[in-house]
Amino acid sequence: MTPAIAAIGLGPYLVVSAALLVLGVFGIFLNRKNVIIILMSMELILLSANLNFVAFSSAHADLSGQIMVLFVLTIAAAEAAIGLAIVTVYFRNRGSIQVEDVTMMKG
Amino acid sequence: MQTDLHLFAVAILLPLAGAAVAGLGGRLMGDAVAKIITLGCMAIATLCGVGALYGGWSAGFAPRAVALADWVNAGGFHATWTLRFDTLSVTMTAMVLCVSLLVHCYSLGYMSHETMPTYRFFSYLSLFTFAMLMLVSSNDLIQLFFGWEGVGLASYLLIGYWYDRPSATAAAIKAFVVNRVADLFFIVGIGLIYVLFHTVQYDQIFAAVPQVLGAYYPLFGTAFSMIEVICFLLFVGAMGKSAQLFFHTWLPDAMEGPTPVSALIHAATMVTAGVFLMARMSPLLEFAPQTRLFVIFIGATTCFFAATVGMVQPDIKRTIAYSTCSQLGYMFAAVGVGAYQASVFHLTTHAFFKALLFLGAGSVIHAVHDEQNMFRMGGLWKKLPLTYAVMWIGSLALAGVFPFAGYWSKDAILNALWASGSGMSQYAWVLGTITAFITAFYSWRLLFLVFHGAPADAHLRDAAHESPAAMTVPLVLLAIGAVVAGVALAPFYIGPKQELFWDGAIFNAPANTIMETLENVPALIALLPSIAGLAGIALAYVFYVASPALPASMARSFGPVYRFLLNKWYFDEIYTVIFVRPYAAIARALWKEGDEGAVEGLPRDLVRATATGAAEAVKLQTGSIAIYAFTMLAGLVVLLTVALCG
Amino acid sequence: MSDSAVNWTLALPEIALALSGLVILVVGVLQRRGEGFFPCAMLTIAAFIGCGFLVVLSPDGVGYASTFVNDSFARFMKILALAGGLLATVVTVGYRREQGTVSDALPFETPILMLFSTLGAMIMASSANLMTLFVGLELSSLSIYILCALERDRVASSEAGLKYFVLGSLASGILLYGMSLVYGYAGTMEYGGLIAAIHAGGEIPAGLMVGIVFVVVGLCFKLSAVPFHMWTPDVYQGAPTPVTAYMAGAPKFAAFALFLRVMVGPFGMVAPRWQILIETVSMLSMVYGAFAAIPQTDIKRLMAYSSIGHMGYAMMGLASASSAGVRATLIYLAAYLVMNAGVFAGIASMRRKGREVTAIADLAGLSKTDPGMAAALAIFMFSMVGAPPLAGFFGKFMVFAAAWQAGLYVLVCVGAVSSIVGAYYYLRVVKVMYFDAPAEGLDRPAPSLLFVSGGMGLATVFFILVLGPLMTMAQQAAMALAG
Repeated sequence: MTPAIAAIGLGPYLVVSAALLVLGVFGIFLNRKNVIIILMSMELILLSANLNFVAFSSAHADLSGQIMVLFVLTIAAAEAAIGLAIVTVYFRNRGSIQVEDVTMMKG
Repeated sequence: MQTDLHLFAVAILLPLAGAAVAGLGGRLMGDAVAKIITLGCMAIATLCGVGALYGGWSAGFAPRAVALADWVNAGGFHATWTLRFDTLSVTMTAMVLCVSLLVHCYSLGYMSHETMPTYRFFSYLSLFTFAMLMLVSSNDLIQLFFGWEGVGLASYLLIGYWYDRPSATAAAIKAFVVNRVADLFFIVGIGLIYVLFHTVQYDQIFAAVPQVLGAYYPLFGTAFSMIEVICFLLFVGAMGKSAQLFFHTWLPDAMEGPTPVSALIHAATMVTAGVFLMARMSPLLEFAPQTRLFVIFIGATTCFFAATVGMVQPDIKRTIAYSTCSQLGYMFAAVGVGAYQASVFHLTTHAFFKALLFLGAGSVIHAVHDEQNMFRMGGLWKKLPLTYAVMWIGSLALAGVFPFAGYWSKDAILNALWASGSGMSQYAWVLGTITAFITAFYSWRLLFLVFHGAPADAHLRDAAHESPAAMTVPLVLLAIGAVVAGVALAPFYIGPKQELFWDGAIFNAPANTIMETLENVPALIALLPSIAGLAGIALAYVFYVASPALPASMARSFGPVYRFLLNKWYFDEIYTVIFVRPYAAIARALWKEGDEGAVEGLPRDLVRATATGAAEAVKLQTGSIAIYAFTMLAGLVVLLTVALCG
Repeated sequence: MSDSAVNWTLALPEIALALSGLVILVVGVLQRRGEGFFPCAMLTIAAFIGCGFLVVLSPDGVGYASTFVNDSFARFMKILALAGGLLATVVTVGYRREQGTVSDALPFETPILMLFSTLGAMIMASSANLMTLFVGLELSSLSIYILCALERDRVASSEAGLKYFVLGSLASGILLYGMSLVYGYAGTMEYGGLIAAIHAGGEIPAGLMVGIVFVVVGLCFKLSAVPFHMWTPDVYQGAPTPVTAYMAGAPKFAAFALFLRVMVGPFGMVAPRWQILIETVSMLSMVYGAFAAIPQTDIKRLMAYSSIGHMGYAMMGLASASSAGVRATLIYLAAYLVMNAGVFAGIASMRRKGREVTAIADLAGLSKTDPGMAAALAIFMFSMVGAPPLAGFFGKFMVFAAAWQAGLYVLVCVGAVSSIVGAYYYLRVVKVMYFDAPAEGLDRPAPSLLFVSGGMGLATVFFILVLGPLMTMAQQAAMALAG
């Protein structure tokens, strides 16, 4: 257990990351504005998991958690890029990025 | 010995061959070939049957058997196809074959004016003959039941032969259904026999009877003797087949079939199967005194009932049909007092003269172009002399006038009834004698109405002509039989030679001495049937020749009685209300609510539910990302709850 | 042999495939504009075949510091994934040929992206560590997000891509969070270490359970199991048909590989706890897939619901939590691969005057205009219903038997009922083809599409011949997983 964790314990870290998770998840389906908010929420979720990994890595004094974070950050970046590209293509076709307009296919 | 058995087997199996070939190939071969084949098979079979009878008489009738094939071998239950060679079966075989051959021959002439091809008719006649022979030659109850049902089937096919007539098809169904109800009791009886004796073979059953005399059958709190119950059930089955009271309603309607059918099936053979069954089961029946009292009661009451109804019928065939019903009552009454030999004797003589009467009636019907109402006939004796003569002979035999056939057998029965001594048999004797009087009355009523007096329709009378040789030859042969059969056969059936003749085929319990005591009745009693018969003839003369207006005025003054008799004591109406209507109502309810409602409704409702479910399920897919994400979240929460709290 | 040498030989198929992918990408870039597709596609097919050989020949073992494992199970799933990718690529070739020179014809990147996605699937099958799992999963998923949106001028395609991306990222996020909780409990991300930690632990803490549930949810999304299935109909309908063909194949196999490896391996001890979850999800998938497909009129959407149902059936084997169940699922997936590829080859060939048509009504009277294709589609439909002796029957039979033996009677009954209900829409397609009056005829299919649908048709019909060897291989795979 590293000094950072030993000072205040694991709890606060988990609570913060849980809060981030909830914020991210709610951000996906509660927003009426536009799809970019969704992309941001998605990043939040990944970050919450990252925070968990770092906290647990400290708690167990095992480096693999932090290695995992590096991987996840890379992947998250790639994901964000792809997401933005898809949103751009979609906007070019549809003319809007309102979440409510993404309902052409249903049933 | 062996030749007898071979002849016997050939006699029984040839009619089947004839029926199969004519029935299956008749359309290709044509009517003429079919007739030749069936008639030929019947002729050879009859010769073999008579030969077997003669051989059996000379060599002795100790029971033997010709095993044909195994049938059922299931656990302890064995049934085989076996031909039993003893007095009862050989004599019945010979009788059935003779009558059947004559009916086949007669049908050549009677069915010659048909528009439909007639190979079917001859095939059915031969099929019926085969089934009847299987019945009488059976060595176990299952083959008997096979024959029993087989004759029922053939009867159905032949009654409804003119299938385009609704009345004929209705009559055929009625015959089959009434028989079926009685057969239910019969099969339960067979089942109980198997339960009690663990076998259905005759020899084993008869041998085991003394051991099971004490067996009891508990029903509704009372313990009945098992033998009594079995015999009662068997008798109810016989009641159906032989058209005894309560099960008789099908017999008059069966006259819808062609007249040769009535002669063969409903006079000589099928209806006698019940009597045969009782005689065959004599070793059992002897130990069931209560049942036999019931048998006497039914037999005597049927006898009387049928005669009263026959008195007023306008249809020539129905009169003779009721006459058959009545004579069968005599046979059962004889069985009831233990005089099986007399019963079978009457069965044999009755076969001759009743077939003769039916065929003669057929000759008349043929002559007047299918008119069957006697009140529209009259004065035919000059036109149909041969028919007239043989009808006289048949009626004399029926009335029991010495020395014709009926005298010997009917008097034997009545004497046995008197000699038996019990209260029920006295009742039977009284009714039997009265019936002898009525029998003679309606027989001569028929003769006088049809052949004498002024014709109702002169045109009909003028156009009448005697029947062709194919029809008259059997009439003559049967007439000979009606004359001599009694005299010739009496010594064997009921006379001094009966022990030798029967040779154990019929069993009389040691206490049963009826066959001797019936010889010793007082002379007056013995003469009474003949007196009654002659009185009946005289009364008929008065009513229908001397004062022809008398019947009509009597009918008017005794209106209700007349109508009661004319409507057959209202049995058909009572049965319709008690059985037919409720059954039809139940069937309709099961059809409408049961089948159409529930059975078809279930898939229909399932389909509707599925379609609705599908429509609802699709509505969930709204197309909105937010909803999708929310659903995922909801699923996550649910799964978490299940995992953590489950 | 030194560690690094072992690593190379162990991961040779993946390394080779990755390198080929990069090379083909360069080749594609270097071609003239619009002419890159067919060379890339052919090279991709060659790469798949080559990689297949390498997989078959690859040795067993654990490598890369216990993050990578190769055993019979991994080989089995990799072959399935490669087959799925290969068939989808052939379908793409046929589809592209029909497209001709329209502006939004599929670009040359399509087969390459399929290659990368398959690569991700292979890595998933070989994962021995939560890290590898995540990396493989993301590689596969990201490639597919792009693939869905590749027909740039079609709104439906873009919307499909967007929806898949959003919901897929959400699922990945949830999966990652779950993995973090599991790591937090065990202190290691290797499966072996997880097994040891859970074994030694005794009582299962709530945190671990939450983590497992999150991981399950993430995986269920990939499988399109109810209630995480809602992306499936829209995405299948919107994406280009060859991409749908691919999506219905390899990623599902990869997700199942993950599921099986994770659930039977590390979480195998906890089986009674998560068995009920899988059962519930399976039942819901089967029933929903059956009912919601009934009113559908678009055949790609119909196949989406159909695949939801099929995944429900395959999960029955997983729910049995026995080696018989694993074997049954593997056989079901093999049969599903064959049927699926064939159907989509048929769907990809549905064009009228060059324009693609996807309504079921467009198949009317196909038996008269194109008896061969109609017969092949009919075979696939009957196989999906589960009629013997076609492939689908064996799959269904095995999963039903495994579930029954495991005592999951309610599950089997629900499965049977939904099979019956589901038979309706499969047979409706057959009915439309054979008994409806012919619509305007469809264009003649491209040879490659005929090849795939014909080949898959034969494979479906004669599946019983390969069933024996397949069962042996699946049995080995199941035992490798358990051992």
